Amino acid sequence: MEATGDEQRVLLEQRLRAAVHYTAGCLCQDVAEDKGMRFSKQAIAAIAEITFRQCENFARDLEMFARHAKRSTVTTEDVKLLARRSNSLLKYITQKSEELTSNTMEQKEKKKKKSSAAKGGRTSEEQEAPVSESEDSSMA
Amino acid sequence: GRRSTSLQNKSALFSCVTGPKEIHSHENWSLSAEEFEIWNRLYRLKESDGVKEPILPQIQFETLENLEETSKPEEEGTHKLSLSEWSIWQNRPFPTSMVDHSDRCYHFISVMEMIELMRHEQGDCSYELELQPHLRIEDVNVQRNKSLLSMTKST
Repeated sequence: MEATGDEQRVLLEQRLRAAVHYTAGCLCQDVAEDKGMRFSKQAIAAIAEITFRQCENFARDLEMFARHAKRSTVTTEDVKLLARRSNSLLKYITQKSEELTSNTMEQKEKKKKKSSAAKGGRTSEEQEAPVSESEDSSMA
Repeated sequence: GRRSTSLQNKSALFSCVTGPKEIHSHENWSLSAEEFEIWNRLYRLKESDGVKEPILPQIQFETLENLEETSKPEEEGTHKLSLSEWSIWQNRPFPTSMVDHSDRCYHFISVMEMIELMRHEQGDCSYELELQPHLRIEDVNVQRNKSLLSMTKST
């Protein structure tokens, strides 16, 4: 039982690593085009592995920050705390967070109007999709 | 870890030079006259020392607007402490004194080791080959980059 649990864990880790590696490759591609340069595959692999491991640092810190505030749910406030050491980074993350909250509010407003205007659950599902997507990207 | 060690050594040095009887004289945040004399004589860097003043590199974000105060631009008489000059030493844990290595530090060491192992690879990347079978397309955002997908396929 334990061995298969470990195996599953390793497989899941490799799956996540592969996803991070792919995404790191996409982002590096953007930078490469922007700067007119190339990234070696090894460079992308190293960046991907650093990112994967950095997620562990972030996850641990976020959990502790939330617990420090006597919460069990990680919020944007905890994410801002991750960026506390650099003014530039903190400003950037704070702006993103504000955009996100105002977008979410707008979406909710629209949803209210639409659901009162048009009947049917389809529209509300479609409304929710972009919100959760932007929430995901802010955590990355 | 290293910083706290050097601080500790310094304060140990101070207390053994000044001796316990003078401790009451520094209730201020600043150095007492005796402490200042010791600092001036033993530790303070002067022109005549022929040693450049050590400074830490400042953080700069390539992809963000920089808000950090940019202090004096690249002074000649300073030695910017490097965090990458000895990178080939960093693929194993350095000794510790009182503070153990953190997880973050071990992650760093592991990645330095990984880079060392990939250093002589030509073309194909072992990391990529190992992970490719694990990629699930539903985990990633495919629309945003079609060119890379074709690139991965062609290799």
